[in-house]
Amino acid sequence: MADTLLQGLPVSALRSAAPLLLVLLGECLTQRVGRINLGVEGQMLVGAVAGYGVTAVSGQPWLGMVAGAAAGALLSAVYALLTVAARADQFASGLAVLMLGFGVSAYAGSGLVGLRIEGFALGAGGTTPTLWLAVALVPLIGLWLYGTRTGLVWRAVGESPPAASAAGITPWKVIVAGIAAGGVLSGLGGAALSIDHTRTWAEGMTAGRGLIAVGLVIVARWNPWLTLPAALLFGLAEALSLRLQAGGSAVPAHLLHTLPYLASLVVFAVTCARLKGGGGPEALRAVFAR
Amino acid sequence: MKLLRHLAVLAFAAGTAIAHAATIGYIYVGPEKDYGYNTSMDLGRKFVEKNIPGTKTLHVENIPETAEVEKVMERMIKQGGASIIFATSYGYLDYAIALGKKYPKVAFLHAGGLKTGDNVGTYWANSDDAMYLAGMAAGAVSKSGKLGFIAAFPIPQVVRSINAFTLGAQAMNPNATTTVVWTGGWLQPPKEAEATNSLADAGIDVIGEQVDSPMTIAQTAEKRGIYMVGKDVDVSKLAPKAVLTGASWNWGPTMLKLTKEIQAGKWKPSHVRGDLKDGTVVLDPFGPAVPEGVRKTVLAKKDDILKDKFIVWSGPMTGQDGKAILPAGTRMPMEQLESMNFFVKGVVGTVQ
Amino acid sequence: MNAARLHRSAIALGGFAALAGAFFLLIGRGPIDMLVAIAQASVGSGYAVGESLLRATPILLCALATLVPARLGLVSVGAEGQLYFGALAGTGAMLLAPSSLSLVLLGGVIGGAVWALVPALLRVVADVNETISTLMLNYVAALLVTWLVYGPWKNPQSQGWPASIDFTEAARLPLLGESRVHVGLLVALVLGIALHLLFTRSRWGLVLDVLRSNPRLAPLAGLSVTRQVLLTMVIGGALAGLAGIAETSSVQGRLQASFANGAGLSGFLVAWLAGNRVLPAMALALLVGGLLAAGDGLQMMTSVPSSAVLVVQGLMFVAMLGAGAWKKGGAGG
Repeated sequence: MADTLLQGLPVSALRSAAPLLLVLLGECLTQRVGRINLGVEGQMLVGAVAGYGVTAVSGQPWLGMVAGAAAGALLSAVYALLTVAARADQFASGLAVLMLGFGVSAYAGSGLVGLRIEGFALGAGGTTPTLWLAVALVPLIGLWLYGTRTGLVWRAVGESPPAASAAGITPWKVIVAGIAAGGVLSGLGGAALSIDHTRTWAEGMTAGRGLIAVGLVIVARWNPWLTLPAALLFGLAEALSLRLQAGGSAVPAHLLHTLPYLASLVVFAVTCARLKGGGGPEALRAVFAR
Repeated sequence: MKLLRHLAVLAFAAGTAIAHAATIGYIYVGPEKDYGYNTSMDLGRKFVEKNIPGTKTLHVENIPETAEVEKVMERMIKQGGASIIFATSYGYLDYAIALGKKYPKVAFLHAGGLKTGDNVGTYWANSDDAMYLAGMAAGAVSKSGKLGFIAAFPIPQVVRSINAFTLGAQAMNPNATTTVVWTGGWLQPPKEAEATNSLADAGIDVIGEQVDSPMTIAQTAEKRGIYMVGKDVDVSKLAPKAVLTGASWNWGPTMLKLTKEIQAGKWKPSHVRGDLKDGTVVLDPFGPAVPEGVRKTVLAKKDDILKDKFIVWSGPMTGQDGKAILPAGTRMPMEQLESMNFFVKGVVGTVQ
Repeated sequence: MNAARLHRSAIALGGFAALAGAFFLLIGRGPIDMLVAIAQASVGSGYAVGESLLRATPILLCALATLVPARLGLVSVGAEGQLYFGALAGTGAMLLAPSSLSLVLLGGVIGGAVWALVPALLRVVADVNETISTLMLNYVAALLVTWLVYGPWKNPQSQGWPASIDFTEAARLPLLGESRVHVGLLVALVLGIALHLLFTRSRWGLVLDVLRSNPRLAPLAGLSVTRQVLLTMVIGGALAGLAGIAETSSVQGRLQASFANGAGLSGFLVAWLAGNRVLPAMALALLVGGLLAAGDGLQMMTSVPSSAVLVVQGLMFVAMLGAGAWKKGGAGG
């Protein structure tokens, strides 16, 4: 049983985690500029459907990825309009975008169901380019956010828009950029899910992964470097919940399926108790306390 | 002004629709275009619409198997004027029975189950024979003798498929085992893909499935270079190398026959069960991986089934724990069949 | 209703008509036919009104469940999980005392409260962010219900269908008239008004306002944040638990998997859309309930797919949120 459990487990965890990781990185940037966007689930879905459609027509999975990113960005513009231009409530705006994205993707995708696409070829050990893309973006974004001038500008806006404004920054432009970055990356995550991970388009196929990503940003303490372990923890727990069954575990499957959620929560709670909370951008705190 | 006219037209339409005898309502549990179970039911709807000129059908998708369906059925009757309702998912049964009492003039047809009312009947088809035959192909093609099965929830129809698949495989390779992975949802492509991957990693080389649509598992099996057996719709187009065969639905003729009976006033609620013989269930064409000799053996067994020379659900049959379930020479009664909650010997996994 | 609010509602409605109209034209449908069909499906007959109210009931309770902790500045997304655990505990009570409505309801309320107490304790003891803990616990509660109805609590007479045994007539809430609407709706409305009065008139309401706007004031004013976190979360959980057990005992008639139909998330949307004020939340819950309940009717009458219905619902919220800009744009008052 141990053999079946461990055989290919690291790659399996990475595979499960990769689309989530892309979304998580995007939402991390959005929350860094002081916005919390529950609409990522909808942005993933439009990314998934656009990516799938373009891949099916063109036969080019990379072109599909680009289309997914564009679709995600486009939908995130609705969120930006609502929360920045109309100054509407962030949670409600995110949920409205979620509904829109779910509906639009299902409507647009109904003609794509059951199409066959050629996704990316399998590489060493069953890895694929989207997996490496996700992993490679972690240090890139981490270094950018903590090591560059624009990274500092973004963080400053996330901490205090008035202070940033006093330093000659136009906060709303940075906030829109942060939302758009979230749109691009969640669109990419959705496209990775449809083009690469499943080679399928199905209505609502993200099944809550976007909402989970919003939560996992908190687990990762708004730190791009920590998105990798957070996504891996979730991916590992999900892979295990399936592998334990494949290994003949006697535990009822429905209880095994609680594993990803409980594992994330327990790890978070334990690290919270040791670090005593904290780590979030100040402006985001203002969203919560109103 | 225009608005008023629209309102008037609608009110008039609603009034006449009730008098119209041939409005048929269809309710689906998932998306109508799912390339799977719900699509197969919707094809049945289109078949009825085409073959009875003047028939109007209403259809509503993504309705959960909860009291929500009670509302939808009632709306179909009250606001849509439906006089026949096809409730196409297993969990709609109790609500159909309850509404049947409230609306005695409406005919309810429910997919499976063993309860009827004065105006509530069930229709279903025994796909176990085809699953058994597909399992034979799977057992013969598998080099490791280790098969897998990915399914959503342990309800009787699914448990039957897993057992029939396993029994078929064991007819070709007595040592064959089937490892079951539950995904916990009818439409969960990411989990279905990862379940396929984890089974492949565990050395399993043929996978059966019963989720909403076989498409993700087929594509992933193709990618991983292993084989699979489909259900509900033929997916060979999506995975020409991986698909061995499958058990598909063809609901049109059954639905048409029932509708005509109802309209002619000759219908009596009962449990209508189709099968391979009447064509409600179809054994999909074989894929290139199934050798000629195996095809012949499987088709010979199919012939035996069609001629009643072979019954899948007959003894001797042994349970997962090694205890006898059915003595030799007996057939499993319909009640036990339609509420099956045990695995046969050789299945690895839990029925919970 | 003052002039500015009336103005805003008109803009939201006009904006919605424009957005939805454009969408209908895009998919080749007559906008007026479609809007008429939406109205018909949600309030077009006594039956339709009843179904809208029925759908609104758990949404209203979940909105209140979100709103109470939000008055303290907590962002709980846990109404869905508390609803499930309330249904679970209430069903447990039913299995012990099959014909006691009060025990069943009590079980539901306590179950919801207990499920909310977990993130509340995590918050006060280990400073664990309540948003993440409630989100994760939602999935766990739903899966626990699924496990029970497929396993230990499965009705042996159900021919394999995963559900608990049926609630007896005595353990169900009375229905209102001929409809499927139950007394829970009236209870929810009364609770809403009571909360409104508490928030606007009582000392407690002021305490919450003070702590929300400046938690650092708490020790100076001799207030305990810890106590309020526990209290608001538990009250919220109890409300969601009530929604869960009322839905299970009186609408579904048995415990089933995935019965919530997104009531928790819809309630969350309503609460934040209403700025966590009770009276607007009550009105919005009725509106959202009607809009969601109309979904199948719109599919049926116009044969658009359910996805088109979802787009229309999304556009409705976009219009309402966009119209809020009016308030801040200068016309306020």
